[in-house]
Amino acid sequence: MQFAQICDRVKIDPASVGPISLSAFPGTWFNSNPDTTGIAQIVMSESAGNLFLQTFATGPAGLIDWGKVAAHVFTAGPSSRLPAGFTSRYDFDFVEIQLQGMLMKGLLVLAQFHSFKDDSGRADHFGREYFAQLHDS
Amino acid sequence: MTPTLEFKQNSHLDPVLTDPATRVLQADKLLGRWLNTNRETRGIAECLIARDGDQFTVSALGVGADGPIEWPRTLASALANLEEEGGQRAVVVAATFDFGFMTAETYIRVNKGVLVIVLYATFRDDSGRSNYVNREFFYSQD
Repeated sequence: MQFAQICDRVKIDPASVGPISLSAFPGTWFNSNPDTTGIAQIVMSESAGNLFLQTFATGPAGLIDWGKVAAHVFTAGPSSRLPAGFTSRYDFDFVEIQLQGMLMKGLLVLAQFHSFKDDSGRADHFGREYFAQLHDS
Repeated sequence: MTPTLEFKQNSHLDPVLTDPATRVLQADKLLGRWLNTNRETRGIAECLIARDGDQFTVSALGVGADGPIEWPRTLASALANLEEEGGQRAVVVAATFDFGFMTAETYIRVNKGVLVIVLYATFRDDSGRSNYVNREFFYSQD
């Protein structure tokens, strides 16, 4: 087995590999900062074992729906089947936005990479925000 | 006449994005040799971040069975970090290491003097290993 760090040298019985549970993701995740100028909420859903997310960002006239995209799911380790994060990408005409999420103690920590493709002179930039699901008490 | 900017969120219209000070990448705090704060790590033992003009490179040593495993020196993309660090606009670098059997997408930033590497590992072999995300912390050796 090839590895670039020894934590990746694990014994896996392919016959015993089951699906990764996505149950930690589905629902609406709200930004912990009500004054955000970025992503306000993310709606995550599961379909046929795949994870999808629909992002809503703040705009001058209300929320802007970025649409629904597929996400790649990541676990907590090479032998884990517990979900721990995801990556996803939005490719708009003028900007590409890479999202990388990590679940931490019930919070979603979302890293965002904004790379502009237009000639506006805007700086490519990074941001990190926190999201939580609301539960009935 | 001011050109109309396209946007997908309010922050895309933030004047700070076109402020020349934002475009000057304050990378000094990121450069150099960094050692894992966890001596027992089974992941990345150390990391070296270098800069030549606007070009950033990242190399790393993974912990191996019989000594360190040298990761290939990789070009990195630098992005302005709009979270201020010590009153300065800092930089995040994103680097993807391609090992053939596995891809490691990383993003690297400094938070209060600690280098944080978040790594998303995707296996491309048929080993049955799960793709996973991991985070490790490093201190400056310079």
